[in-house]
Amino acid sequence: MWDYHKKLMYPVRIAKPDPAMAKLIMTQLGGPDGELGAATRYLSQRFAQPYAQGKAILTDIGTEELAHTEMIGAIVYQLTRCLTPEQIKKSGFDAYFVDHTTGIYPQSAGGVPFSAESLQSTGDAIADLFEDMAAEQKARLSYDNLLRLIDDPDVRDPIKFLREREIVHFQRFGEALRDVQENLDAKNYYAYNPSFDTCCTRKKT
Amino acid sequence: MTEKQKALQDVRQHQFALIDAGMYLDSHPEDEMALQYFRMMRKKKQQAEELYQKHFGPLTLFDAGTDKRWNWIDEPWPWEV
Repeated sequence: MWDYHKKLMYPVRIAKPDPAMAKLIMTQLGGPDGELGAATRYLSQRFAQPYAQGKAILTDIGTEELAHTEMIGAIVYQLTRCLTPEQIKKSGFDAYFVDHTTGIYPQSAGGVPFSAESLQSTGDAIADLFEDMAAEQKARLSYDNLLRLIDDPDVRDPIKFLREREIVHFQRFGEALRDVQENLDAKNYYAYNPSFDTCCTRKKT
Repeated sequence: MTEKQKALQDVRQHQFALIDAGMYLDSHPEDEMALQYFRMMRKKKQQAEELYQKHFGPLTLFDAGTDKRWNWIDEPWPWEV
């Protein structure tokens, strides 16, 4: 189960509103490579992990992703404080504003609502961990793209932290994948699903 | 029920009391009786957690690291029992 800690994982303190940027950054909450999808993906997949390391890594990273959703929410919230109707119209935030005012709604930069269609939970540890490594890279490049567009150091700072975490998570998933592969029966290498066809694992049935 | 299950149920019951009372306090922040109940249960929950973790391992990542090896990864995970 989970506990809530009344703090952000990394501080977010943004002085200047920027609704146009808020709409872009929101994609890292509810977009195809966003934090909500990441948390849902890892916390769903962990049940099918056959080995202790994978279970722990998916649990811990999935938990951290939940903390990241809160950071993105805080960034978008602070970027859309005290807006005038004029600012809303000029920035292109108007379409979002009509539906959600300045509430935090998980959607992509293109306005597509959050969907579990952007993630999988296959019941196969190898397939899942490859997806997870790809997911971390996609999230990292989304942050890279955002950093190409953001000038405000108040916004860049937490985004840079989130970007670094994608790189660390990619590394950890690579290690989890290696652990799974090392535990496969050599004769069945890649042929079976180590989560379901327990005959092909060495360490544990 | 095994000793481990008993110890865990003790943690669970006290934690649930805190969650439920905390939720009530969210909408009744001045209720002194509820506050007293919360404080009493918090003490009991801490004791229950200490007892469990002494014998059966860490409950959270932040409680791990007390053993020679990293026992956070030790099985079974909650969905496996």
